[in-house]
Amino acid sequence: MTDYTDKIKEIAKRVLAEGKVDMVIGFRAGTVPMMNQPHYAASAEAVEEMIWDSNCGLNLANYLTDKKGKIGIIAKGCDSRNIVTHVIENKIKRDQLYIIGVPCTGMIDHHKINAMFDKEILKVEESGDQITISGSGFSETVSKQDLLAENCAVCTHRNPVEYDELAGELVDEQADVDQYASVSKVEAMTADEKWDYFDDLLSTCIRCYACRNACPLCYCPTCFVDESRPQWVGKSQDPTDVRTFHLLRAYHCAGRCTDCGACERVCPMGIKIREFTKKLNKDCKELYGWEAGLSLDQRPPLDTFKADDPEEFIK
Amino acid sequence: MKNLLEHTGIEPGRLHFSWISSAESTKFVDVVTKITDEVKTLDPANKKYVKTEPKVD
Amino acid sequence: MKLIKVDKKSLDQGIEKAKSAYRVFGPVKEKSDHDFKLLDKEQLPDLDFQNTRLSPKSVIYPQSQIMFQYSLDESKEDCRIMKEVENVTSPMAVIGVRPCDALSFPIVRRNFDTPEYQDTYWVKAYEATTFVGLACNSACGTCFCTSAGTGPFGEEGLDVLLIAEGNDFYVKPLTEKGESFVQAAGWAGEVESAAASKIEEMKTAAEASITATVDTDKLRDKTTLDLYDAPFWEEEAFSCINCGTCTYVCPTCWCFDVQDETCGKSGIRMRNWDSCMFPLFTHHASGHNPRDVKYQRVRQRFMHKLKYYVDKYDNGIQCVGCGRCIRLCPVNIDIRRICNKMNSFDAESCVCEATSS
Repeated sequence: MTDYTDKIKEIAKRVLAEGKVDMVIGFRAGTVPMMNQPHYAASAEAVEEMIWDSNCGLNLANYLTDKKGKIGIIAKGCDSRNIVTHVIENKIKRDQLYIIGVPCTGMIDHHKINAMFDKEILKVEESGDQITISGSGFSETVSKQDLLAENCAVCTHRNPVEYDELAGELVDEQADVDQYASVSKVEAMTADEKWDYFDDLLSTCIRCYACRNACPLCYCPTCFVDESRPQWVGKSQDPTDVRTFHLLRAYHCAGRCTDCGACERVCPMGIKIREFTKKLNKDCKELYGWEAGLSLDQRPPLDTFKADDPEEFIK
Repeated sequence: MKNLLEHTGIEPGRLHFSWISSAESTKFVDVVTKITDEVKTLDPANKKYVKTEPKVD
Repeated sequence: MKLIKVDKKSLDQGIEKAKSAYRVFGPVKEKSDHDFKLLDKEQLPDLDFQNTRLSPKSVIYPQSQIMFQYSLDESKEDCRIMKEVENVTSPMAVIGVRPCDALSFPIVRRNFDTPEYQDTYWVKAYEATTFVGLACNSACGTCFCTSAGTGPFGEEGLDVLLIAEGNDFYVKPLTEKGESFVQAAGWAGEVESAAASKIEEMKTAAEASITATVDTDKLRDKTTLDLYDAPFWEEEAFSCINCGTCTYVCPTCWCFDVQDETCGKSGIRMRNWDSCMFPLFTHHASGHNPRDVKYQRVRQRFMHKLKYYVDKYDNGIQCVGCGRCIRLCPVNIDIRRICNKMNSFDAESCVCEATSS
């Protein structure tokens, strides 16, 4: 995907010069391996810093919330779905945006890659579908497919759904992936096992709220955990409070989550946070045939009522 | 709502939804009786679901 | 104090032996990373690590700490009286503290232990603790301890320094507290005559392995308001998502928030780590928030560490160069980049640039 960089720069410079946008939101190279930094360019010089590779896993739609002016934005499949969700939820207007679509072949998982090596990784290079990881005294080349973030490995919307221009040819969508394999695994457990599974999952949570803040869906002016009058949830490391936060965060994403994986990517403790939202995504798919952010013309299932909505849970 | 809670380990049978009109007193009694009976068959909830004092290391 | 040399086996036996007199903490690998934990009987620290994911500050200063208890039961004599929770004064020892993290304790102490005010919880725990450091033979790419007032063999803040050499360890007691720990561990072993010069060589090599540096020499001379009003904050803060990662993983971030929690008729007052990245941090009861937008909060974190602290204590920066915030920041905000920007900031030329364009 590194060859998109030149095309992205060319488009960004052009739309800035033509005055179509005031800024273009994209990525610039980070100072540590596998960490690119979200960045905006308002001038041709700043565009030069822009980059595209397999470390652009953060969701740039997160930087659009309530922005004024005309904005160019680089969008892979999931970003574009969150842009659609933002437009549907009136957080930005479609005509404010110039969407530079990036057909995506997946982002690599820095948690997984760091865990593969005992030593510190000093350099990660990408060439086609091969990734070379090296550090002091070691170097290993691995197929990118084996290093994909879990959400990317099961992604079925790699191409942007909404764009003004593309930075590359559309890619083939993945078929034959089991999107909900991890959910099915938990579904097979007993209630106690499930409880313990999530206890263990959250045991390292430090409540930094990176998962919430990296998520384009979490744009409430004041989050329920930050409310103090009344206070809904305790602020300590108490496991009940930690779980309450994660459960409520997930519920707020119901029917809206695009499984972009930003929450999991940013977690400093490497917690598999998608285990919560993934279950809701599965339910939405099974109950309403719904996947978030695919069309500007459809309302999400949880803000519409249909006479035939499933209601088996009501006795 | 129900699905995710049960997915994270709340036993089925602990969470109930019902639509009862203010005119349906008999239904209300039936539902509440059924719920309390069902919940009583489960372990006491305060073992893990109910927070008392914060548990911190 | 006398330099000692022990092999790995005696080191481990000593740690086990010391547990009869100390509660011993050390790095343990759980899931994918190392963190400091209280070691159970027979459990040994895993010293094969570069640095822990979270800093050892939680040993002295837990993320959540209960300070007081109270009862609201009118039938009880002590109803509505805040009673201090008994805090730990039994001796503790932390094994495997890296020299960068060790320096964080004297830094934090400047805040928690002053002639006017003492944070009893922090001070008691600190005084009860012996810090047994482990010198770094090889640095991480994000380490810049040598520009932050210490180094891979730095001794400040430590009571004992361990230096790994192959399968052996040099044990260097640095304080009386350290000497007592060495005795409790029963570490004794002659060193070869060339030991001192060998350690010096290792130290030089380790220092040379630190590739990242920052410049801090001009921070003190800058005018605070010039830096505060510098034009780069909004751009540097653009990617920030205002999570608490940088502050929570930082060994020198000391801010906390006090909370009361009541359950029935009894309750507790506790404190929890807080973060200047959170909007609630400065949210006034009136509803006003002096740091209402993201860049102001990002600016606060760096201004506190690299300017306000520098001016107030005249003792370097409030950063030990451990590099955790760089490694773990989800959006790659790099303190080295910001520090260099602040240090080289020239308000006058900047004004010229702004007016000429």
